Amino acid sequence: MTVTTQSANEARLASGIRSGRRRRPETVVLFLVANQMFALAADSVHEIRSTDSIAGAANEIENPELPKVRHTLDRGGRTYYVVNAGMHFGLPVTRPALVMILRQFRAALLVDRIDRMAEIPNLSPLPLAFTGDERRWYRGLAYLDDSIIPVVQPTGLLTPQEFQRLDRARKEALARQAAAVGAQP
Amino acid sequence: MNVLETVAKAAPENSFVLLQIGHRRIALSAAQVAELAPPVRLHTFPHTAPMLAGVIVRRGRVVPVIDTQPVLGSKSPISHRFYLVVRRNVGQESELGAIPVNGECELVNGEMQPPAMDRPPYVAGTIRVDDDSLDVLNLDAFSVTASPEPRA
Repeated sequence: MTVTTQSANEARLASGIRSGRRRRPETVVLFLVANQMFALAADSVHEIRSTDSIAGAANEIENPELPKVRHTLDRGGRTYYVVNAGMHFGLPVTRPALVMILRQFRAALLVDRIDRMAEIPNLSPLPLAFTGDERRWYRGLAYLDDSIIPVVQPTGLLTPQEFQRLDRARKEALARQAAAVGAQP
Repeated sequence: MNVLETVAKAAPENSFVLLQIGHRRIALSAAQVAELAPPVRLHTFPHTAPMLAGVIVRRGRVVPVIDTQPVLGSKSPISHRFYLVVRRNVGQESELGAIPVNGECELVNGEMQPPAMDRPPYVAGTIRVDDDSLDVLNLDAFSVTASPEPRA
């Protein structure tokens, strides 16, 4: 995402907080994972980078209980947990090329590619029949260009318990690193 | 309003719509039927809810499509697929749901008998039509079975 879009997003986010109500229509980023299209509110995205360009800022994290998170990313003094969108949504394994770093949430999302930005007129609630994890995954469904597109809920990417687990694993990894450095002659 | 919708609205309690789902003949309480919808596009996205194939858009509403195959073991041929839109209970609330059918529907009257003890929860009872005993579907039970894998 460009700096210009970022500033526009900030302004939109600020106006949303001031008004205290849900704005409609809404600008979303449409992205693809394993040929499945998703939408994410543009307001929720801080920046989008290629996985190659951020390789130097990424660190591996060991957490076998959460295979969808294998890296952390340090950006602007914050550490983000990188969630593989394909694994999160149970889709076939792909080779993600982009990482979407979220705003107001310490998570980033690995995706295959960005399709475009679009404006959705409104959001339909997920039908009640959907009773599984999707209630946490999606804010609702958007109808765009004759397609139904799930709109991702950023806070559904990682639960508070998962954050705690990851924070613990990261702390342990840092302690191990420090110990290893201290042990060097 | 289509013919089926009109008939279903006027139907007494002991009226049932007979459907052909794959090779199986099944009955459904006529009071639950909203309409027979044309074969509109099925939209799919990842989810873990059991027995849902995706959603269709009908009259500006997003309607979940019930996947009857795991339970009934037969599928309507895609080329002849219509959607029977029905009202069903999900927890304490009710919403529309769609069942893929081949389009042949018949309205019959009959007295529903309670299901045998060994019948699964999706069978609300049975009715006799000609010489056959047909299962009456309990659509509210179609979300009870758990599905282990996410599906798209």
